[in-house]
Amino acid sequence: MTVAISIDNLVKTFGSTLALDGLDLEVTTGEVHGFLGPNGAGKTVTIRVLLGLLRADSGDATMLGGDPWNDAVDLHRRIAYVPGDVSLWPNLSGGEVIDLLGRLRGGIDPRRRDDLIERFALDPRKKSRTYSKGNRQKVALISALASNAELLLLDEPTAGLDPLMESVFQDFILEAAGEGRTVLLSSHILAEVEKLCDRVTIIRNGRAVQHGTLDELRSVTRTSIIVATDRTVEGLDQLGGIHNVSVDDGQVQFDVDGGSLDAAIRHISSFGIHSLVSQPPTLEELFLRHYGDELEASANGASQS
Amino acid sequence: MTSVASRSMIESNVDVEGEAGRTDSLAGLGILIRLVLRRDRIRMLLWFVGIVGLVVATAASITGVYNTPAQLEQYAQIVRGNSALIVQAGPGYGLDDPTTGAVMMNEVGIWTLIAVALMSVFMTVRHTRTEEETERAELVRAAPVGRHAQLMATMVGVTVANVLVAAGVVVSLLLYDLPAVGSIAFGLAIIGSGLVFAGVAAVGDGWLSWLTWLSPPGWGQAIRAFADERWWVLVLPLVAASALVYVAIQLQNRRDFGSGMIPQRPGRADASPWLAGPLGLAVRLQRATVIGWTVGVGLIGFFYGIVADEAESIVEDSPEMAEFFAALGESSITDAFLATAVLMLALVATGFTISSVLRLRSEELAGRADPILATPTSRRRWVLSHLAVAVGGTVIIMVVTGLATGVGFALASGDFGKVPSILGAALVMIPAMLVLGAFAMMLYGFSPRWAPFAWAGFAWAIVAGLFGTVIDIPEWALDISPFGHVPAIPASSFELLPVMLLCTIAVALTWVGLVAITRRDIQ
Ligand SMILES: Nc1ncnc2c1ncn2[C@@H]1O[C@H](COP(=O)(O)OP(=O)(O)OP(=O)(O)O)[C@@H](O)[C@H]1O
Ligand SMILES: [Mg+2]
Repeated sequence: MTVAISIDNLVKTFGSTLALDGLDLEVTTGEVHGFLGPNGAGKTVTIRVLLGLLRADSGDATMLGGDPWNDAVDLHRRIAYVPGDVSLWPNLSGGEVIDLLGRLRGGIDPRRRDDLIERFALDPRKKSRTYSKGNRQKVALISALASNAELLLLDEPTAGLDPLMESVFQDFILEAAGEGRTVLLSSHILAEVEKLCDRVTIIRNGRAVQHGTLDELRSVTRTSIIVATDRTVEGLDQLGGIHNVSVDDGQVQFDVDGGSLDAAIRHISSFGIHSLVSQPPTLEELFLRHYGDELEASANGASQS
Repeated sequence: MTSVASRSMIESNVDVEGEAGRTDSLAGLGILIRLVLRRDRIRMLLWFVGIVGLVVATAASITGVYNTPAQLEQYAQIVRGNSALIVQAGPGYGLDDPTTGAVMMNEVGIWTLIAVALMSVFMTVRHTRTEEETERAELVRAAPVGRHAQLMATMVGVTVANVLVAAGVVVSLLLYDLPAVGSIAFGLAIIGSGLVFAGVAAVGDGWLSWLTWLSPPGWGQAIRAFADERWWVLVLPLVAASALVYVAIQLQNRRDFGSGMIPQRPGRADASPWLAGPLGLAVRLQRATVIGWTVGVGLIGFFYGIVADEAESIVEDSPEMAEFFAALGESSITDAFLATAVLMLALVATGFTISSVLRLRSEELAGRADPILATPTSRRRWVLSHLAVAVGGTVIIMVVTGLATGVGFALASGDFGKVPSILGAALVMIPAMLVLGAFAMMLYGFSPRWAPFAWAGFAWAIVAGLFGTVIDIPEWALDISPFGHVPAIPASSFELLPVMLLCTIAVALTWVGLVAITRRDIQ
């Protein structure tokens, strides 16, 4: 397995703002990698460092075997980029922008372009100043997807797309992945991440807090459990990794960290279990936990970066 | 393609304009006024310091140099006889019986009025047209804000700025012991002409504000501050300003937000072969601007050419003047006039050179550099493409302006022999203009935040070029302006050395800017 993007201990400051605080990120060639984190976590900054638009203060970053800052021009022949907030030249039409960006990348396949325009239902003759946000986003997407770049850097590419277009986008990403292209996808849309991404990295405050496949992430997160027992459960609070215990005569409800599940069930079984319901964490819960503040307290067991 | 059609129909059916907007079209005015003043406080301060500073500097030197009635009379004689000065400064009211105030008005009056006009135009455009093209404007509109509230808030803001500047000027004049009546008249003239220009800018759809350059700024002068004031003239700008604001409101009622009166025509479905690289893009983005400046400055040059022919005849009527000018050297009065005219045209056109370079800055800050630089286009190439347009546009403007001035002169005088030397005079200005453009590039290279300070260089070039001889400015300070080193063709002959030096400086500054931009973050 070769590595498309490798970032090690990257630091980037803007004056007194610490945007990236020792970030690590690894994207394997051919995978669709989800890049998640709360607003202001540093996703856009990371992608702009990879584009050679920002210069990191320290740390290493390698993209497609090159240095993003020094080899920018050469690397850009092999990548395509979609910004999260697309701003276009107001008096150029969408079609003109698509062609221009395609030509800057060294040519555009007209059939692929027309196909994308039709699938995304874009009117390429409209002047950019009259496009809605979603339509501006489509222009950038079409120009990126029409290229034959081996690496796609997508920064919230679907912000503003309607659900129909969102699903067209997903089709194209799956198609690109099928062709062996690598995708780094920053996104706040969890369903999209779940559908498309092989692996994800979650960052917070400029630092990666977790990475792995979605299954791996699930297995290290809390499960909600409701058990009915013969005798009232006691002493559960004394075990590690147990949260939000509520005892209601004969029934106890609690959340348990992945690593403490075994100990917890052993303990309860001594009170005589006669029914047990367990609920794996939903994706929302998974992310909310990592985005929220309770993270530090319970990060043990997770594959910390 | 039917899906595209139906989609756009849905979009166009969503019309935000409701009756509610009409019932209270000024809702939110107070907040917007505060926003305008808040956003412009630094700009207003700079204009205030610049304009009042100019008046104070002139007042200081005039009260220092022309003390006695005899000295004042001598000044008046020179001005009356010099059509070049009259073209520059206006008809010279009150110079029949010159007082310090009259001399003051003649020296600085029109420039103050022009500066105030520019301040008002820029401020109006910034808060109406420019603002409308941003997304935050839609945020503002979505709030309970009336349809005309932004326009009126801008007008109030511009009025405040004009009143402040006028007050500053009046107070400075009073401090230099000039008569109160004349000072106040001049203050009112400042407010009046500022408001007219704000009104024109409010009506103008971007390019229309070009008209402001062509309209005679003589209104303010017609008040005749310090020379038998004609107060009724003040009614004219007030009526005109109100009428223009009324027209602007009517236009606003008709057009959709964010678009001009003309409905957007659909563009091309694909790019023409020209639009294939950063240079093609830069040309496309600045094409209309270059054409606008070429026509505008070219027209002014044409009129200067026509007027130049009269310079000689005015002086011939006055033997003393002829003697005076003869003493200046071999050059004829016509040549002196033409040289001054070309210098003024070049100064105006430098506005294009600098703003064209600063296009890089606005592209970067709008996030439109990112998509270009994410392709295999190096920063250097992207920057050089825009600089190529800045240089090319400057050359086009000056060639056309030189020819237009020459042809204007030829048509009035029948002397076509002067066309080449007038064209040469225009061309020789180019290196100096490029030095200021390169200065902008250097600042931009270090940081887009510093880039606007290039306008300080521009302002200095104007002050040094037009008032250098009037105000007491030390020689070394005058030498900072690149225009101080340009041979004044046709009055003097061409010299290669300063031109080469200016070119070298322009290249060096550009190079520093290029090195700097390849080392910093793109915002
Ligand atoms: N040019 C800049 N100057 C100063 N601070 C900046 C700049 N760019 C980013 N930052 C700061 O860096 C931090 C990370 O921002 P970034 O845009 O990468 O967040 P993000 O993860 O992309 O957030 P979002 O999900 O909202 O897009 C923020 O605190 C932001 O304010
Ligand atoms: Mg972002």
